[in-house]
Amino acid sequence: MKHLEEAELVEHYYEESANMGERELHLKACPVCGQRYAELCRVLQAVATPTPPARSKDYVEQVWQSIDAFLPVYEKPKRSWIRYYRPLGWAAACLLLVAVAFVAGRRWERKQAPSVAVAVDPQARQRVVIVFLGNHLDRSEQLLVQLNHAEGHDLSALPLRSEARELLASNRLVRQSAIEAGDLNVEASLDRLERLLMELANEPDSLTEADLNRLRQEMNTDSLLFDIRVLRSRVQSPEQPSAPKATKGVPI
Amino acid sequence: MRWMEESDDSIRRAILSGEKEAYKVLMARYTPIVFRVAYRITGNESDAEEAVQEVFLRGYQSLAAFQGRSSMGTWFYRIAANCALEVVGKRRPEAQSRIAEENDPEQSEVQLADIKAGPDRLLLSREIEARQQAAMSELTPTERTAFVLRHMEDRTTEEIAAALNIAPNAAKQAVFRAVQKLRRQLAPLWINT
Repeated sequence: MKHLEEAELVEHYYEESANMGERELHLKACPVCGQRYAELCRVLQAVATPTPPARSKDYVEQVWQSIDAFLPVYEKPKRSWIRYYRPLGWAAACLLLVAVAFVAGRRWERKQAPSVAVAVDPQARQRVVIVFLGNHLDRSEQLLVQLNHAEGHDLSALPLRSEARELLASNRLVRQSAIEAGDLNVEASLDRLERLLMELANEPDSLTEADLNRLRQEMNTDSLLFDIRVLRSRVQSPEQPSAPKATKGVPI
Repeated sequence: MRWMEESDDSIRRAILSGEKEAYKVLMARYTPIVFRVAYRITGNESDAEEAVQEVFLRGYQSLAAFQGRSSMGTWFYRIAANCALEVVGKRRPEAQSRIAEENDPEQSEVQLADIKAGPDRLLLSREIEARQQAAMSELTPTERTAFVLRHMEDRTTEEIAAALNIAPNAAKQAVFRAVQKLRRQLAPLWINT
């Protein structure tokens, strides 16, 4: 039979054992453990529990007097309106944050905008002009080719008038640019083109073959087409390698 | 007094709102318990009184941190156990020199001889008391506090552990070591009686 350890006896005495019944049986059955337990009980029962001496009636007052000087008065909590208005505070803070972000964004945009303009160097600007001019000449050439080869086609189906109106605006810009640049040959060709475009734009809806022939003769569209092709080839010449190649244009 | 009928929590809130005098009501409510525990742990009146002052001083200062997870009585009880333990700790070097004298083997034999000679129950009782005091002095502050809480205050191991802020197993071991030391001191009294 395995005897109980001293710690187990102490545990049993204070009734903190998990298996009280089992140990009780063991203590009854085992004389060695029984005797040890009896000795333990005798010792612990002899340990007197001291009764504290009575306190005088004013003992609490005495204690109070002894500590009073060391007890600070707690401050009253602040008015609770802060607690009620705290959500509004958060909302205001959020609004302020959004406003600051908006203003900062606007300022950033303003700062960025001039820098973009400054960043466009003359070469880049030149490339834009060339692309625009090339595109304009492509479309003009295409219009002239359609005009010169319009026999036998359904003339009302050709968008000559609408195309002429669109080209008229861009041609004015390009011609103005040529005048400012002092390129008189280009300006002269563009001037002829402009007159033709204006005629086309002002033609009635029902364009006849006779009308077309008149225009071809009056405006010498073959010669004009040649001029435009020359101009286009200059624009797409090897000196301007960065200019995009025209994809439009009808080979003749 | 104005707050006599109020609950502990109401009084606590009053104190925290600046009503310092309300603390007296809490003191009046818990002084008997606090003094009793302090007296049993320290073993003497003056030390117990010192502990009581410290308990109520510390209690007031920590009142804002009291979260109500236990009752205020339990809270003061724990502070009392700790303060008494600290007072015992301060007194311990002095006590130890006395213990060394008591534990002198030769002197022990003489004392035992005297006890055997006197069959009178009163004498035995006095001797037990003296030896109990000696044995209690031999205990470390934690052992002493744990034993008092277990044996005299009938607190469970978990309650002792919570009061002393130690693990339950450590509390159980402290009680066990205290019992062992007490047995060593007191068991010889019953030899051949």
